[in-house]
Amino acid sequence: MPTNQTPKEIGEISFGLMDPEEYRDMSATKIITADTYDDDGFPIDMGLMDPRLGVIDPGLECKTCGQHSGSCNGHFGHIELAAPVIHVGFTKLIRRLLRGTCRECSRLTLTEDEKQEFLDQLQTTKDLDNDVNDVTKAAIRQARKADRCPHCGEVQFDINHEKPTTYYEVQQVLSSEYPEQIAAAMQGDDEEDEEPTSPNELAEKTDIVLSRVNEILSGEFRPRKEDRKAIEKALGIDLTEEDMNKLMPSDIRDWFEDIPDEDIEVLGINPERSRPEWMILTVLPVPPVTARPSITLDNGQRSEDDLTHKLVDIIRINQRFMENREAGAPQLIIEDLWELLQYHVTTFMDNEISGTPPARHRSGRPLKTLSQRLKGKEGRFRGSLSGKRVNFSARTVISPDPTLSLNEVGVPDRVAKEMTQTMNVNDRNLRDARRYVSNGPEGHPGANYVRRPDGRRLKVTEKNCEELAEKVEPGWEVNRHLIDGDIVVFNRQPSLHRMSIMAHEVVVMPYKTFRLNTVVCPPYNADFDGDEMNMHALQNEEARAEARVLMRVQEQILSPRFGENIIGAIQDHISGTYLLTHTNPEFNETQALDLLRATRIDELPEPSGTYEDGEPYWTGRDAFSELLPDDLNLEFTSEAGDTVVVEDGQLVEGTIDEGGVGAFGGEVVDTIAKVYGKTRARQFINEVASLAMRSIMHFGFSIGIDDETVPQVAEERINETITDANDRVEELIESYENGDLESLPGRTVDETLEMKIMQTLGRARDNAGDIAEEHFDDDNPAVVMAESGARGSLLNLTQMAGCVGQQAVRGERINRGYEDRTLSHYKPDDLSADAHGFVQNSYTNGLTPREFFFHAMGGREGLVDTAVRTSKSGYLQRRLINALSELETQYDGTVRDTGDTIVQFEFGEDSTSPVKVSSGEENDIDVDRIADRVLEAEFDGDELQEFLGEKQPATNLSEHAESRRMDAAGDRGATSVASEAPQVNDD
Amino acid sequence: MVDVSQHNLVPEHSVLDEAEVDEVLAEYDIDRTDLPKIKRADPALPDEAEVGNVIEIIRDSRTTDQAVVYRLVVE
Repeated sequence: MPTNQTPKEIGEISFGLMDPEEYRDMSATKIITADTYDDDGFPIDMGLMDPRLGVIDPGLECKTCGQHSGSCNGHFGHIELAAPVIHVGFTKLIRRLLRGTCRECSRLTLTEDEKQEFLDQLQTTKDLDNDVNDVTKAAIRQARKADRCPHCGEVQFDINHEKPTTYYEVQQVLSSEYPEQIAAAMQGDDEEDEEPTSPNELAEKTDIVLSRVNEILSGEFRPRKEDRKAIEKALGIDLTEEDMNKLMPSDIRDWFEDIPDEDIEVLGINPERSRPEWMILTVLPVPPVTARPSITLDNGQRSEDDLTHKLVDIIRINQRFMENREAGAPQLIIEDLWELLQYHVTTFMDNEISGTPPARHRSGRPLKTLSQRLKGKEGRFRGSLSGKRVNFSARTVISPDPTLSLNEVGVPDRVAKEMTQTMNVNDRNLRDARRYVSNGPEGHPGANYVRRPDGRRLKVTEKNCEELAEKVEPGWEVNRHLIDGDIVVFNRQPSLHRMSIMAHEVVVMPYKTFRLNTVVCPPYNADFDGDEMNMHALQNEEARAEARVLMRVQEQILSPRFGENIIGAIQDHISGTYLLTHTNPEFNETQALDLLRATRIDELPEPSGTYEDGEPYWTGRDAFSELLPDDLNLEFTSEAGDTVVVEDGQLVEGTIDEGGVGAFGGEVVDTIAKVYGKTRARQFINEVASLAMRSIMHFGFSIGIDDETVPQVAEERINETITDANDRVEELIESYENGDLESLPGRTVDETLEMKIMQTLGRARDNAGDIAEEHFDDDNPAVVMAESGARGSLLNLTQMAGCVGQQAVRGERINRGYEDRTLSHYKPDDLSADAHGFVQNSYTNGLTPREFFFHAMGGREGLVDTAVRTSKSGYLQRRLINALSELETQYDGTVRDTGDTIVQFEFGEDSTSPVKVSSGEENDIDVDRIADRVLEAEFDGDELQEFLGEKQPATNLSEHAESRRMDAAGDRGATSVASEAPQVNDD
Repeated sequence: MVDVSQHNLVPEHSVLDEAEVDEVLAEYDIDRTDLPKIKRADPALPDEAEVGNVIEIIRDSRTTDQAVVYRLVVE
């Protein structure tokens, strides 16, 4: 970090227009030459690459500030424009001001009362945080209504704006053909029954002397305005035509200069910061070279930035303009050049103006000028400030590793060797630091760079690492590789909720993928079909501490979305605990120990009983109970439907399945997380996952096509049911065709028929499913998965073994395809079941070609629906998050936005975090249980202290802290070698 | 015409007197304009409510029995 760049606090930012004088003041030099470099390759003085504008080449010194490239931010120059030009960014405001102010005295064409009223309105809208534009627009609208200036009485004309930068004043003037028009009107019209008017009559009607009338008729005299009006009235004609008077930028500037400050305030403009004439440029600031660096190509040629090209154009035209004006060129040429100058200044600022051809590069590519640099997704705001590429990040494919804790992430060694953590060498970590350095950049754990106390950074190489390691002393900094126990941030896109970014502890591993425990799949919504995830290594102590305390996976077990756990057993874990506890099987000592071998349990409890030969046995529920806290009491209904009872940490009865330990609100996990803390919950989830894997491996769990095939008898019964249904459909159709079918209330007969057919076929499928189900045992893997909630449902089972059922598009039977029929295989107007997409086969039997086609139709709709839904809901969520992102709960419990406007007077009306409340569907807040716990805590000194917040349980301890403290050997074999080294305090 | 303020889903709206308003503003340390807004034309408002008044709304809450919010009458 350069020492001269201390962060500064921003006190205030003000937006406004810039005074041309200010441009001149801040300018390092005036730019007069369009050339950049001379023949020797040196920048030309007062050229676009003037060395006073800053340095881009390393080694050179800035002529203005004396700093070198990198520390010099560059300095603005300026171009004196030969003639004023309009700033494209303000064309709308210029138009408004022209329309709202007097052409003569430049004052706002509003009376004092009106002005005051709009000023008051402006203040109230500002106070209420409403759009100020609404008021100023209304003020302009009011001002435009005035035909005459209320201050000087000058007649006002309409202003026409031709996009982008031309303004006309529209005046009503006497038509050049007025004598002909009058004469024609005086002729009268026979068809319309209009009498001809004589000059005498006209003179009478208009009160004009007859001789004057004759002069007017002969075209010798142009009638004055009053006379014109009188003639127009008498003859019912219009003698005027529009005259477009172009307003040059210089005219507009003069006009604006005279607008008084008080009048601008009414339009919501602060006159101290922004004078309207500053919208017409007389000086153009030239961005420093650092903002438009030139690149040296391979062949030694210099390639200039788009902005530089544009500035060259501006200077060229500016000079030609001056030369021509001095030479006294005709007005027409001057105007052309003026317009050209306007074009170049316009495109310099925005090259995507509609109606203006974009300025192009020689290759035909449109130039990327100022506005294009800022706008859009890749622009400075969205692309460089809100989101940018970062160092110390890695991305690769993820794969599962059930041996990891849920807090951990397996990091490939080649990633660990690339990403470093800075360690400040002191007496206590000197040995480690030297070891890392001597391992070099290739060995792990090694180091990539060291920094000496004098600030010099040295690269650690294979050659110098041994030598360098000797030199490392306290006070040095060593950029060491990631090692086990380091904290990193891990993320999977789309980052839709806060659990999409969580902190993990590193476990360095061979091979190329990130490894994670399968229980963290639900919060990330990850699977292993090729998903990739990002990892970020944290670079300072505050970030690491914050991540460890707030972001670690175990701190995210409870989801703020529904206040229950989002991390828990999934899929095979649930099948595993189900097999273990549903029938409560018995295990001998070896088996029981094997089940619990991946947990911290190494001694079995008292056996539940003994076999006939005297050998003791333990039940599945005993094994599961070993993982529970000793004093846990719980009663709930499981997914499988039985009542689960836990007494004093013993599972007395019931099946542990999704409702017990599953992600998304498994009762046991939820309770442990809320009552015993996040650390206990993490331990429990890890151990349940391990136990479940051991258990499912003990029993063996596989599925094949034969598992979902029903015996011949059942097959026949299913066929019978379906034939039956087909017959009933035929009956329905027959009665419909005979006109006997009675319509249901509110429906047509056609709709009634469709409904009844759908009902009949739906029932048929359910019946087929029921028959199929009868033939599956409770230990059928698909049944186990559906019952336990691990994966799949009974409907899936029905479709595999019984009958796939009716295919639907838009909630109706399939009705599309050919005229009056779905496929050419059917007769027109065939209403039967199979002609409209009823699939009577099961997936195991296989579908007929026609059934397959209908099935594909229904399947396609599902795919389209999900695609549309995700994009729609994604956008909805984005907008919602953007609207809510700046809301914050304040210390006084209110929720406010950044403008301090109150959104909620009390967070959630009860000031309670959803993850800290124990509430279920039927009971609101369990006050009794809370009270019980408080009393309980009161008797226990330690717990009481924790409850009163006098003592905080440590939350920032590493997973490895315990094992280290107990001086136990690592539990993960090879990978734990590094974890024995002190990690938490070394950097 | 239906008087929506009598509907059982419409919570009670009442105009605060100036002393009470000052109390509320002091409690939250805010200006009147930092309060949430309610349109004068809102049919739930009592007839006597005027632009600039602060309305106290006491509504049933899913999380607490009753929640009190304040709104500034605008337009």
